[in-house]
Amino acid sequence: MNSNVWILTFADAISIATTLILATLGAILTERSGVINLGVEGILLMGAVTAFLVSDGTGNLWLALFLSVLVGVAMSAVHATLTITLRANQIVAGLALVIFGNGLSQFIGKPVEGKTRPVTIEPLKLGPLSDIPVLGPILFGHDMFTYLTWAGALLCSLYLNRTRPGLVLRATGDAPATVDAQGVSVAMIRFVHTILGGALMGLAGGWFMLARGTAWSQAATTNGIGWIALSLVVFAAWRPLRAIAGAVLFGFTLQVPFTLQGQQINILPPEIVQMLPYVATLFVLVMLSTPRARRLLGAPKMLGQPFVRDER
Amino acid sequence: MIIGNLRIELEPRLSTPKWLYAAVPVLSLLFAFVVGGVFLALTGHSPIGTFSLLIERGYASTKGITNTLGSATPLICTGLAAAFAFRMNLFNIGEEGQMYLGMIGSAWAGIVLAGHLPSFAAVPMVLLFGALSGALWVLLPAVLRAKLGTSEIVSSLLLNYVALNLVNYFIFGSRGMFRDPTTSFPQGRLIEESARLGSFGTTRTYPTVLIAVALAIGLYWFMKRSNYGYETSVFADSPNTARYAGMSSTKLTLSVLLFSGALAGLAGSMYVVGPAGKVDPGLLQIGLGYAGIVVAALARYNFVAVILTAILFAGLREGGASLQISSNPVPISIAVVLQGSVLLFALGGEVFRRNRLRIRRIQQVGVVS
Repeated sequence: MNSNVWILTFADAISIATTLILATLGAILTERSGVINLGVEGILLMGAVTAFLVSDGTGNLWLALFLSVLVGVAMSAVHATLTITLRANQIVAGLALVIFGNGLSQFIGKPVEGKTRPVTIEPLKLGPLSDIPVLGPILFGHDMFTYLTWAGALLCSLYLNRTRPGLVLRATGDAPATVDAQGVSVAMIRFVHTILGGALMGLAGGWFMLARGTAWSQAATTNGIGWIALSLVVFAAWRPLRAIAGAVLFGFTLQVPFTLQGQQINILPPEIVQMLPYVATLFVLVMLSTPRARRLLGAPKMLGQPFVRDER
Repeated sequence: MIIGNLRIELEPRLSTPKWLYAAVPVLSLLFAFVVGGVFLALTGHSPIGTFSLLIERGYASTKGITNTLGSATPLICTGLAAAFAFRMNLFNIGEEGQMYLGMIGSAWAGIVLAGHLPSFAAVPMVLLFGALSGALWVLLPAVLRAKLGTSEIVSSLLLNYVALNLVNYFIFGSRGMFRDPTTSFPQGRLIEESARLGSFGTTRTYPTVLIAVALAIGLYWFMKRSNYGYETSVFADSPNTARYAGMSSTKLTLSVLLFSGALAGLAGSMYVVGPAGKVDPGLLQIGLGYAGIVVAALARYNFVAVILTAILFAGLREGGASLQISSNPVPISIAVVLQGSVLLFALGGEVFRRNRLRIRRIQQVGVVS
């Protein structure tokens, strides 16, 4: 096996990381406001099938991605209404979203099952930069969304840590009563960020379908990436920039099984190698569970708790 | 919330009228059919025609209802598994994987151990091994949760994907003991005849349905009457109170999660002793573990109500499956769309069960200019 293969694997890992970063940023924004949205996997699937169907029907890449985002907005709005307005259990509402998204994406995706991807998001041509040995393909061989996503993570980080609305957002996750006492609507902050997060998750699904997915193959299209993104939020300690590093790491575990299979390296049976991303994620979750690691993480204190103002 | 001169508020109810307990699930179901109907109409199917066919083939014919009872059997178990954990605010969402492991564990027992036993001993032993394997599969998330406080949600879910690949490995990837040695076609090896149960007559209902129903009623009674049931409900309401009262949260967490895993494992072994008789990848396709969560939530984590919601959902599934065979086939995933929508509506409806919607006109107070 030559080193080229591993350079390509790294490049693919960084590419796959785009979806993970987008979904994780969405989940970070949602969770920082104190809402936990477990529906990521369902939103990814719906975003993916929407992008596939729309681009198959119209051939328009931008319309396809735009509608993926809208689907993410709609689904997270359902979650926000159920959990914020109606104070339903956030865990169960998120699971309902996964089951609903799974079923509906299979239902509307049935006619295009197994069909190959109609349009492709092409990598940018960065001229001489892409020709640099090793670093060229790894860093400069991606499409514009990958770079925009990195910029997005930076923006998110600045928003959270350097702006006033970001401060209010963090406060809403940690001490909603204080925010309420300041005369700011907790429900409004949570609604806005749950929906913003859902938009990013929808885009994550749409991009994944049109850039990485080969064909629409039901739930196997995303294959649990949404759940990995949720673990990534913990790994990134609810900080956007750390999500990039984590996403590349997890992207690598997602890509390695394919590389090994493509190279006919059969150290382990393919079914066992396929377990790698999930086992690696579990391992990381275990590592992060030690009391020491937990102190350093700093999860939003009121994560998953509905806010009810004590009137009277 | 204020719209115009109306103030709309949710007020907690002091007591819930009896009819609301039934109205919320029934209305959720109706609304779900409306949502499903919209998507059917959009894809060129007649909603009314499709649903009446679904109801006829799922419930309203002898063949339909017996098929439904058959597929409800493991679903009752996964539903109980979810209800048992969720009512203590332990969100074990790994029933799917625990069920796969139950299938593997009971197939192992059925192949290796059952040959020396008469049927009345072999069947319970196979079921027991399935339950144990299911419990084993939740051991890691349970210990992490009990000892370190790690959220069990994502960890139990991730193991579903590991279990899925494990079953694929046993059937497609290896020529191990679970694979039928007589053919090159990838399929499971049948367990000993003594470890299997025949169905009732020509139906597809198996005697395991009686075990599942008895289990639901037994659990209901046990959790209502026993000290253990009392402790878990105190713990669910207020972990701090439970701790002050000297209850061990570690023990309760571990035992609840392990027992939940065992119930999900039992679902897999009921599939083995009943219709499948082997490790069968067919189980990977039907999502009984995920559906169990919906079944439990719709039953509001009441064990006896789980029986009813499981039969309801199994009927949607059976009816949905039969819709694929017609001149204008409807994808079976319509059943999953209905399941997801029912749960979403039930979650919303729950609020109106617990609260009263008050709409009042705002009194105009003299305006200071």
